[in-house]
Amino acid sequence: MLRRDFVRSVVAVSVAPRLLLSQQVSNPAPPPPAPVPWTLGLNPKTPLPQTEVVDGIAKTEQRFFTSLQMATLVRLCDVLMPPIGNKPGALQAETPLFLDFLIGSSPAARKMAYTGGLNWLDLESQSRYGKAFAKLDDGQADAILKPWLRAWMSDHPPTEPHADFVNTAHEDIRTATVNSKAWCEVTSSGALGSTETGLYWYPIEPDIYEASSGFARTPLHVFSAPKTTHSIPTYPR
Amino acid sequence: MISETFDVLIIGSGHAGGMAAKILTESGISCLMLNAGPVANVSRNAEHKAAYELPYRGFKPPGRLEHVFQANEFNANVWVDEQEVPYTFEPENPYNWVRVRLFGGRSLFWSRQSFRLSDYEFKAKSRDGFGEDWPISHADVAPYYSRVEDIFQVSGALDGPPQMPDGNFVIDDNPWSQSMERFMAAGKAFDMPVCKQRRALGRDGLASSVNLLLPDAEKTGKLTSIANAVVRELTLDKNTGQPNGCHFVDRLSRRELSVKARVVVLAAGTLESTRLLLNSKVGNSSGLVGRYLMDQIYGPGVMCSVPQARNGRATKELMGGGAIVPRFRNITTKSDKFLRGYALNVTSSIGSVNPRNFAAYGAELDRKLQEYHGSSFHMTMMGEVLGRYENHVRINKDKVDAWGIPVLHVETKYTDNEFNMAKDAVDTGAAVAEAAGFEVLSKNVVPNPPGYSIHEVGTCRMGDDPKRSVLNKWCQSHDHKNLFVVDGASFTSAGWQNPTMTILALSMRASEYLASQMSKQNI
Repeated sequence: MLRRDFVRSVVAVSVAPRLLLSQQVSNPAPPPPAPVPWTLGLNPKTPLPQTEVVDGIAKTEQRFFTSLQMATLVRLCDVLMPPIGNKPGALQAETPLFLDFLIGSSPAARKMAYTGGLNWLDLESQSRYGKAFAKLDDGQADAILKPWLRAWMSDHPPTEPHADFVNTAHEDIRTATVNSKAWCEVTSSGALGSTETGLYWYPIEPDIYEASSGFARTPLHVFSAPKTTHSIPTYPR
Repeated sequence: MISETFDVLIIGSGHAGGMAAKILTESGISCLMLNAGPVANVSRNAEHKAAYELPYRGFKPPGRLEHVFQANEFNANVWVDEQEVPYTFEPENPYNWVRVRLFGGRSLFWSRQSFRLSDYEFKAKSRDGFGEDWPISHADVAPYYSRVEDIFQVSGALDGPPQMPDGNFVIDDNPWSQSMERFMAAGKAFDMPVCKQRRALGRDGLASSVNLLLPDAEKTGKLTSIANAVVRELTLDKNTGQPNGCHFVDRLSRRELSVKARVVVLAAGTLESTRLLLNSKVGNSSGLVGRYLMDQIYGPGVMCSVPQARNGRATKELMGGGAIVPRFRNITTKSDKFLRGYALNVTSSIGSVNPRNFAAYGAELDRKLQEYHGSSFHMTMMGEVLGRYENHVRINKDKVDAWGIPVLHVETKYTDNEFNMAKDAVDTGAAVAEAAGFEVLSKNVVPNPPGYSIHEVGTCRMGDDPKRSVLNKWCQSHDHKNLFVVDGASFTSAGWQNPTMTILALSMRASEYLASQMSKQNI
C-alpha cells in the first residue's frame, strides 16, 4: 500500500462514524430538486428585457374581410384619412389590416355593419361607374360618400342606412390611425388629434375559475386540439 | 373556532359603506365590511401607456362591456364583467348597469359633481302631485350635507337659487371666461340661472371612500374588512326572524363562508343591495323592493363653437371654465310638456374640437379642425326621471352569475315626460347658444339607455307608511329594525342632481341614528 492510500484509509475510518452520527442528529433537508429553486433568482433588481409593440415590425395577417372587401376598405381608408402634411394617413398607420383584426374579433352586429357597408360601397360604385370602389378616383369616391356624412354627438351615430356605416367607419378609421404608433411618432398641431395616452389597468385578481373570463376562453394547450392532429399527449392536470 | 363577533355587518365599501364604517366605528361600534371585489393598487395594477401599446389601439375590447359606454381599453378591467355578473332585460328596453366591484366601488371613479337636493325634490309631490314626498326635508339633511361637503372639499360659489341650495364650500372665486359671460347674459331671457360648478376636490387628487372615509374607520381599530367576498344572501335568526349575518362566497377560491352580526347595513349600490334583499326574501312586506327604479336622462346635448375663438384666437380670458344650469323648468312657471326639470352641464374648452362635429373628411376636415381649435362650447343634459311603479327590477330565476347567484331582470323605460324634457333641453340650449352668438355644430335629443348616468336610485324607497315604502326616514327597514339600506336605493325621487352628496349625507345620518339606537340598546 502506498503511503498516500494508507493515510486516506486511516482518515476515512476515523471520520466515517462521526459523519454517520452527525447525520442522525441534524437530519438535514433533502437537496433541492434542481440546481437552484425555480423562482429564487428573480428580484426587483432583475433587469427587464426591453420589448417592442408589433406595429411597424410585423404585418397583421388578413383573416376576416374578403379580398374584395379589403380592397374597398383600403380605398375607403385612403380617401377618408389620407396623409396630410407630415402626418401619416390611414394606410401608413396600417389601419385597414388593424380593422380587419378588430372587426373580425367583434360581435356579429358589428361584423355585419362593416361587411354590409363595404359590399354596398362596391355595389354602388359598380352601379354608378361600372368599376370597383377600389378603382375610383377621389372625385368619384367623394360623390358616393359625401352625401352620407353627418355631424353627430358621442354615443349617437346616425341611424339611417349607409350614413350609419359611413360615419361609424370614418370614426373608427380616424381613431385607429390617430392611436397608431406611426401617428404618435410625428408631432404636429394638437388640433388634428393626439394619440390617446392614459393609465392602463391590468386585470385585477381575475377570477381564474370563471368560464367566461379571458383566461378560461383561451383553450388549454394540451386539450386544444383532437388527439389525431395533436402530438402532445394528454395527461391529468 | 370563530373568535370575532361583530356589532354591524356592512356590505359594500363605496361612499355609502365607507361613510357607515366611519361613523359607526368612530362611535365605538365594531364593524365587518365585505366587498365583492379586490383592492385596486395603482402601483401594482396600472401603468401609463399610449394607445398603440395596447392590443386594440385604445378601442374597447370587442364583445366586452357592451352596456358600459364609459369603458375603453384603458379602463376595461375596472368595470364588472357583464358575462361574470350578468343581468337581463327585454331587447326593446335595454338597461346600462355600470358597476365597479373594486374596494371603494364607484367612489374610485365618479365625476365628482356635488349637489344637494332641495325641497323641490324632497317635497316634489306637494308641488306637482306626482309620486311621493320624502319623509324628510332639506332642513333635516342640511347639517349632514355640510359635514360631507367639508370631508369631500366641495368647491363652489354661494350662487345657488332655492332649487340648488348652497353649502359648506371651498369658495370658487375664479372669474368667468368671456364666453361663459355671453352664455349667462343670453340665458337671462330664458329664465336660465347659470352658476359655478360644484365639484368635490377631495384630498391628494382623489375624493373616494378609500382615502376620505375608510382610513378614519381603520384608525379606530374597530373595522375589519374582507375583499373578494361575494354575498350570496342574508341569514335570519331562527328564533327572532331578524337578519343576523350573511352567507358569502370567496370570489377566487369558491369557498363558502358565513358571518354573524347584530345589525346588517346594506351599501352594495342601489341595485346590488336590492338584489340581495330579493334573493334573501327579506324586508319586503310592502312588496315594493325593486319598484320605482329611477335615474337621470343623459345623452341629449348641444355642441357649439365660439366664432371669436377660431383661427388661433382662443385665449384664457375668452374660453374655458364650467358652469351648472340648475333646473329652471317648473319652478316659477309650469310646463305643459313635462313634470319636474333638468339641469345643463356647460363647458367652455380651449382644446380641440371632436371631428365628429363636422360632416367632412380628409383635408377639408383637417382644415376645419385647425380653424375651430380652441372654440368648443357645449352643454349636456341631466334630467329627472320620474319614479314609476312599473319601472322595476326582479330576480330572474332562470339565470345565475358566476357564483350561482340569481341575477336581476331590469324592466324600465323612459316615457313622454322624459322625452319631452330632453327635447326642451336641446331646443332651449341651442336657442341660448345662438342668442349668445355661438354656432351650433351638432345636437342630440335621444337619451342614452336608462342606467347610463350611473345614478340609479330607488327600489327601496323611504317613507313613513310601511305599506307604501320599504325604509323609514332613517334608511331603516320597516320590517327589521336591525336592517339598514344606506345607498341610493332609499331615494323617493331622483331629482336632476348627481346623487353622491345625498347618498353620503343619508348614510351619515342613518349611521348616527343607528349608533344612538345601539347605545340605548334599542337595537
